[in-house]
Amino acid sequence: MPPRILRNILAKLKGRGDKNLTRIQRRRALADLAWRTYPRLQLLLFAIGYAWLLTIPSTLHGQRTYIDENALQPGQVNTYWNWADVHRADRYLEQLESMRDRNASSHETATFISNEFRKLGIPASTQDYAFSTTSGTVSGTNAYAVLSSPRASGTEAMVISASRLSLTGEGDGTLNLRGIATVLSLAAYLKGYSLWAKDLVFVVSDGYLDGMQAWISSYHGVTQGNLVAEPLQLSSGVIWTALNIDYPGHSFSHLGVFFEGLNGRLPNQDLINSFQVISRFTGGVPVLVYDHFDQSEFPDRVPDFVPKWLPQGMRRNEATQEYAYRAQNVMRHIGYQARGRASGVHGLLHQFRIDAITLFAVPAQGPHGFHAIGRVVESTLRTLNNLLERLHASFFFYLLVGPATFMKIGAFLPAPVLVGTAMLVGGMGAWAAARWARQGRAQGQAEKREEGRDVPAARWIERPRPVAPALSVIVYTHALGIALFCLCTWPGILAGGNIVATLLFASVALAAGGGSLLARAPAGSTQAPSWMILKSFNLCLASTVISVTSVLNFSLAATLAVFMGLPLSLSAPSRSAAARLTKFTLYALLALGWLLFVPGEAAQALRNWEVLRVWFAPFVCIVYTPLVLQAGVVCLLSP
Amino acid sequence: MLILPWLSAAVVAAASWSQRVHAQNADQEHAVRGFFNAQSGSVSSHTNNWAVLVCASRYWFNYRHMSNALGMYRTVKRLGIPDSNIILMLADDVACNPRNKFPGCVYSNAGRSLDLYGDNIEVDYRGYEVTVENFLRVLTGRMDPSVPRSKRLLTDDRSNIFVYMTGHGGNEFLKFQDNEEISAYDIADAFEQMWQKKRYNEIFFMIDTCQANTMYSKFYSPNILATGSSEIHENSYSYENDNDIGVAVIDSYTHHVLEFMEGIGKTSHKSVQDLFDTYSFEKIHSHPGVRADLFRRPLRQTLVTDFFGGVAQAEVLSSALVSGQGIPNTTERSHAQEAVPEKLAMVNAVEAYRTNATSGQTSTQQIEIVRTRALDTAAMFESYARGEQGSFSITARAWASVAVAGSLIAWVSRISKH
Repeated sequence: MPPRILRNILAKLKGRGDKNLTRIQRRRALADLAWRTYPRLQLLLFAIGYAWLLTIPSTLHGQRTYIDENALQPGQVNTYWNWADVHRADRYLEQLESMRDRNASSHETATFISNEFRKLGIPASTQDYAFSTTSGTVSGTNAYAVLSSPRASGTEAMVISASRLSLTGEGDGTLNLRGIATVLSLAAYLKGYSLWAKDLVFVVSDGYLDGMQAWISSYHGVTQGNLVAEPLQLSSGVIWTALNIDYPGHSFSHLGVFFEGLNGRLPNQDLINSFQVISRFTGGVPVLVYDHFDQSEFPDRVPDFVPKWLPQGMRRNEATQEYAYRAQNVMRHIGYQARGRASGVHGLLHQFRIDAITLFAVPAQGPHGFHAIGRVVESTLRTLNNLLERLHASFFFYLLVGPATFMKIGAFLPAPVLVGTAMLVGGMGAWAAARWARQGRAQGQAEKREEGRDVPAARWIERPRPVAPALSVIVYTHALGIALFCLCTWPGILAGGNIVATLLFASVALAAGGGSLLARAPAGSTQAPSWMILKSFNLCLASTVISVTSVLNFSLAATLAVFMGLPLSLSAPSRSAAARLTKFTLYALLALGWLLFVPGEAAQALRNWEVLRVWFAPFVCIVYTPLVLQAGVVCLLSP
Repeated sequence: MLILPWLSAAVVAAASWSQRVHAQNADQEHAVRGFFNAQSGSVSSHTNNWAVLVCASRYWFNYRHMSNALGMYRTVKRLGIPDSNIILMLADDVACNPRNKFPGCVYSNAGRSLDLYGDNIEVDYRGYEVTVENFLRVLTGRMDPSVPRSKRLLTDDRSNIFVYMTGHGGNEFLKFQDNEEISAYDIADAFEQMWQKKRYNEIFFMIDTCQANTMYSKFYSPNILATGSSEIHENSYSYENDNDIGVAVIDSYTHHVLEFMEGIGKTSHKSVQDLFDTYSFEKIHSHPGVRADLFRRPLRQTLVTDFFGGVAQAEVLSSALVSGQGIPNTTERSHAQEAVPEKLAMVNAVEAYRTNATSGQTSTQQIEIVRTRALDTAAMFESYARGEQGSFSITARAWASVAVAGSLIAWVSRISKH
């Protein structure tokens, strides 16, 4: 027998009397409660969701990183990279600099590099490639070499790469000569070890990202419509891990780690953590996330990223500085991940399930140079060499808020999901509201008189809810999105300047506005207003998109939550035509503003789609823009 | 004509010899036993030593477990247990691992001064053969007939067995190669089965893993001495890394035991208590445990070499058994126990020892235990060694010898004259 208290509670829940009756009563009570409280619930969910987003950089979250994979054993080896190897790197650098000074062609440089590999006794080759994009052809020549594992079967490989252009300014033309010299000298040095359990593949890719994309696609036999690439003459095993070396300056003070890959993929956190441990304890080089200096290193200086408008006392506050530092890292991360961009050459390898990061030598007056970076890479490779299976133990979903501090997915995922849930609640509420209409008071009074007894002052009547018009608007806007995307991929559209962009904006907005005709209700109809049904569908669809995206690409989901959460929930038609039009224009600006305000960004996204298969551009055109345009159409419809 | 006295003398000599053989004297026997025991200084009654060394891990980063087992292997071999009596179970994937900077070598210290893999390593169960099933089969002797003798634990009820295990473990389990586990109950039951099948005299069980002491908590069979590296909810740690090999090379507890063992020679008189006395948290960074409640000898009198050494005990038999009363000498002991009714007494004697006697006891019953051809000679030696005889038989023997010698001389001189 359960205790009396439990029985009492059960009795209260079950109710006394007829079981079916109490069930119906309970259901009604719950439905009533949901109906009465849903606007407040929605508001509450929005508030918590957005507040959570704001707390992400705070010290409420976050924990120290740790090595999860037993096999890695980072930082436990003596390194023997020494001044002779540094000298060799200097010689390579001299030759590379002389080639730069006489403006040697890309092909000539690649041939020089592959010849240097051959001189070391490592099989090497070059690869020519060309991408054709809407903005022209991108071509170049990669150089690569494969050092076979002396004592293992060579079924697995590690990649050590350097691109010709540094990631500084996303490949703004800064040369990565020291990175290339490091790779060449490392090849000479690492050949001296017989303990490699995996093949070492050295790649010097041309350009910034395009060269590696051509090389890695050819390596895996992936064909890409707009890519013409020479097949690789040398091959190796399955690539498990890769280190990309980016050393643009003369010397460096810190090593920054860049880790975001295409379409928001991240490498296993063990790779970052191992590198962090090794760099700090073997190389003696502090590690940064990107190139953001940790404020704790300069206690006397107020870092630049703390907003200037804050009062002086607050600016000097440690907690404020920590928040600002973490916020800076999170924003940079969201900037890469939401747009699906690779933060460096390493990011192209993630699509083939290769865990890769870029070691960025943050340019400074000193104190580190080839000597430090060589030791760090040597020790990191020894650690990666210890791997027995792919990196799998540690996290694939995380937010790195500091070099050794991270957030687990559970700490940040709820934020966009809560916003998505708020939208869902709003959508369901709109669906219910479309069903019921309150009848006028006069009619009710008449009834009262007739029947002669007390009835409620107002009555609710049911209305039919036709979904076809709303669905046709939705299908129409998404079709419009596809058309918009196809238009953008036409040569010259995005590069056409303001006039073309404005024309495109106006025509798409007009076409979307025209979509409202599809859902026009016949006059004097007793049906539910179509804007309510459209809004309900729109909110539910957007909520689903946010929730689904959140587990694939948190940053994108968070961005969508910010741009769509509240705005879509506020859409409603007005009585005056002017107000309706204003609202529609605002929504059109939210949906298509990127055409007008950030044309460079749009062109970049399109180029990433064409060259690197980044889904961001089609996603925006086909999912985001139509969803916001639907909210605009809601405002255009009759109330 | 001299042939007659020669013959008579020979007959007299034979008679006196057989008389001596039949003579029984417990005191003399005791003296001889004391003589043999004095050689080893032991009070153990085992006649052979075996070792089962198990490294339950594989993979490069578990280098230290391989070197733990190889360190023990080196020690038992150095102290005299031959390869034929060592069952070594080892994943053996580090010496020739491509990641090994020193191919074909396994070191157990940071300075790489001692290569454990250098000399004549005989691994009986290698790589994927190291399984829970194979380990239990080795212990219990339930083998397929095709399994070679080198892979079997051919022990009997006079065998002292040293069982060493290392790997990754937890509360009452030890992981075998990331694939399966053996539980404390499995080992306890296997030992009980060994006891019932008379497969051991005494077992010294040593284990180095996390929460190691839980592994011997379930033992219930007699004559088992057990020790482990760490308590429940406690980790065992590695001792040191070699920065060229790049991984930890040995575990703390095993390193400590091996350090102690380096001071032990074949003739050492150090007892296991001396070993246990050296345990300390400061050195090992965990709390090693000892379980001696099943063990019947005082630990102070139990020598380390009773388990680690290959010290062969000679068994002293009574001459009554040697004279041979129609008992087939060639029968193996185990068969004799089952088949021959006269041997029931012997079985009883063994049982008496196994159930109540502390092992140091040298009762006369025990002497009757073993009757094999090999040990007959021991009995003969024993009878020769007796000093105390009747004065008549000594005199008769002397005169008979003089007569034989005289007749021989006479015979030879006659032949030379001709």
